[in-house]
Amino acid sequence: MVRLLVRQALRFLLGLIGAVLAAAALSALSIDGAGQGAGAYAAAVLSRLGHMVQLDFGLSLVSGWSASGEVAQSLPYTISLVGLGALLALAVGVPLGVLLGTSPVRRAAAPLIQVVAAAPVFCAAMALSWISIRLLGAHPLVPGSHLFAGNAATVANTLVLPVVTVGAAGAAAVQLALRRAASQAQQQSWRVSLKLMGLPSFEIDRVYVAPEVVAGVLVNLGEVTLALFSAAAVAEYVFGWPGAAVLFVKSLAFADWNVAALILLVFAAIKITADLIGSLASHAIIGEPA
Amino acid sequence: MSVATLSDTTRSAAPLVRNVIRAIGFGGLGILGIVVVGANVFARAPAGEAGYGPSFALPSYAFPFGTDEIGRDVLSETIHALALTSSRALLGTLIVLAFGELLGFAAARLPFGLNRTSRWMARVTGAVPPLLLAVLAVALTSPQFAAIAAGLAAVPLAFARAYDRASNADRVANAEYARATGIPPAVLFRRDLTYEFRDRIFSIAARAFAAVTITLSTASFFGFGATQPARGLGLMIAASRQYYLVAWWTALFPALALLILILFARMAAGLEEGERP
Repeated sequence: MVRLLVRQALRFLLGLIGAVLAAAALSALSIDGAGQGAGAYAAAVLSRLGHMVQLDFGLSLVSGWSASGEVAQSLPYTISLVGLGALLALAVGVPLGVLLGTSPVRRAAAPLIQVVAAAPVFCAAMALSWISIRLLGAHPLVPGSHLFAGNAATVANTLVLPVVTVGAAGAAAVQLALRRAASQAQQQSWRVSLKLMGLPSFEIDRVYVAPEVVAGVLVNLGEVTLALFSAAAVAEYVFGWPGAAVLFVKSLAFADWNVAALILLVFAAIKITADLIGSLASHAIIGEPA
Repeated sequence: MSVATLSDTTRSAAPLVRNVIRAIGFGGLGILGIVVVGANVFARAPAGEAGYGPSFALPSYAFPFGTDEIGRDVLSETIHALALTSSRALLGTLIVLAFGELLGFAAARLPFGLNRTSRWMARVTGAVPPLLLAVLAVALTSPQFAAIAAGLAAVPLAFARAYDRASNADRVANAEYARATGIPPAVLFRRDLTYEFRDRIFSIAARAFAAVTITLSTASFFGFGATQPARGLGLMIAASRQYYLVAWWTALFPALALLILILFARMAAGLEEGERP
């Protein structure tokens, strides 16, 4: 147990160090003269690294505000979007994963699901937007200073389409992780042994297989997080949300390297943390590294 | 039905069904390849030709996919855009195969801790969503390099997968016995590499093609891809955003072309529903 904790902590720390280095390398581009040779660039990276260690992430080249202030303002939108999307992903992805595992449903739904899975998120977002406006008469709203401000209709028009877009992408990742874990559990030799010992299938599944499957899903927490953040970038762009994911894209368009570097660092840190949590939770459930 | 018993049926039917799906996928990609190569023949109008028809003509016999705001034939534009997106995605796929698969497989055998260092670098870059990584790479270079950027964005995941497969292949009992009998590591590596590429290259390439196409078109949708007058499918769909609520065909047909391209690539790779390419 201690060895596992040390190994996971080391992996987490090394991941964070790598993310900080990458962010410093990007942020260094904002320093005048950084482009004048490898030596100048290395000095700029070291300079930015020193500032980052002191939690100084520099100024936004566009607004002149601190990069951390800019990101702090937009991050709650992305976190809310990803959080709500994750809830929807779990609510839909888990039953879907179980349902799609059943033979008749799977056969009937497989072609449709393949087509849906092949649709890029931005196409899905635009299709949802078209359906909402043209068929349902509901115009998506851009969120104000507070996401849940206003009456129920306003909140629904603000939240539903972006959350559905992100949730759908997350649900695909969750159901796949579930089915992959179920498939791996299926291949375990102890299932046959337990059956030979006379244990009913339901008991084997409930007591032994279910924890393996849950652990398998948790191990993929980082992958699910990546899917959610990718979808959030698209949803924010299409529906005009002032979130951090779309701020990353805009800051790159304006060569605002300090802001882009900080967002890169935050996203990478969240993914690395999700990997750590997933791995430890998985270990807590099945007692061995999944 | 319980979770474990679910996959019994899936697994028993899997090999045959999967092979049929792969064959359909490669067949579809082949047909699209013919359309792409003969784009200038199949498309009635040259790329970007304004005034070919009236503005915003509905899909009809004369204009099967309709026309856009400046009278461009959407069918011709979609074929040209499909050709551009596919050819660029192909270039990105080659990058993934070279720097992800091949390098990842070789990196697992590197000495002096270089293997672990490279795996760590793949883990760190893989912690950023590939889409944002691609956009970053385009921002650091130029939209002309969008195909390479999309390929590079898919490299960390491909690298990690190839690295892990190579590590596992190196740890099996056969490899231990071979080393004990004095077979040089270079020979073992060559053998593993041959098996890896012989058995999986088409599946890996199709998987990479699907991933690169998604990243490339989304980056293009964000404005980080092909620039006017060369229009990829992503840029075509982005351009239709102003009008798609009334002129739905300007968005629908390019989106369908993109969906079909990705669908065939996913099928050729034998991907599960929802699986990340």
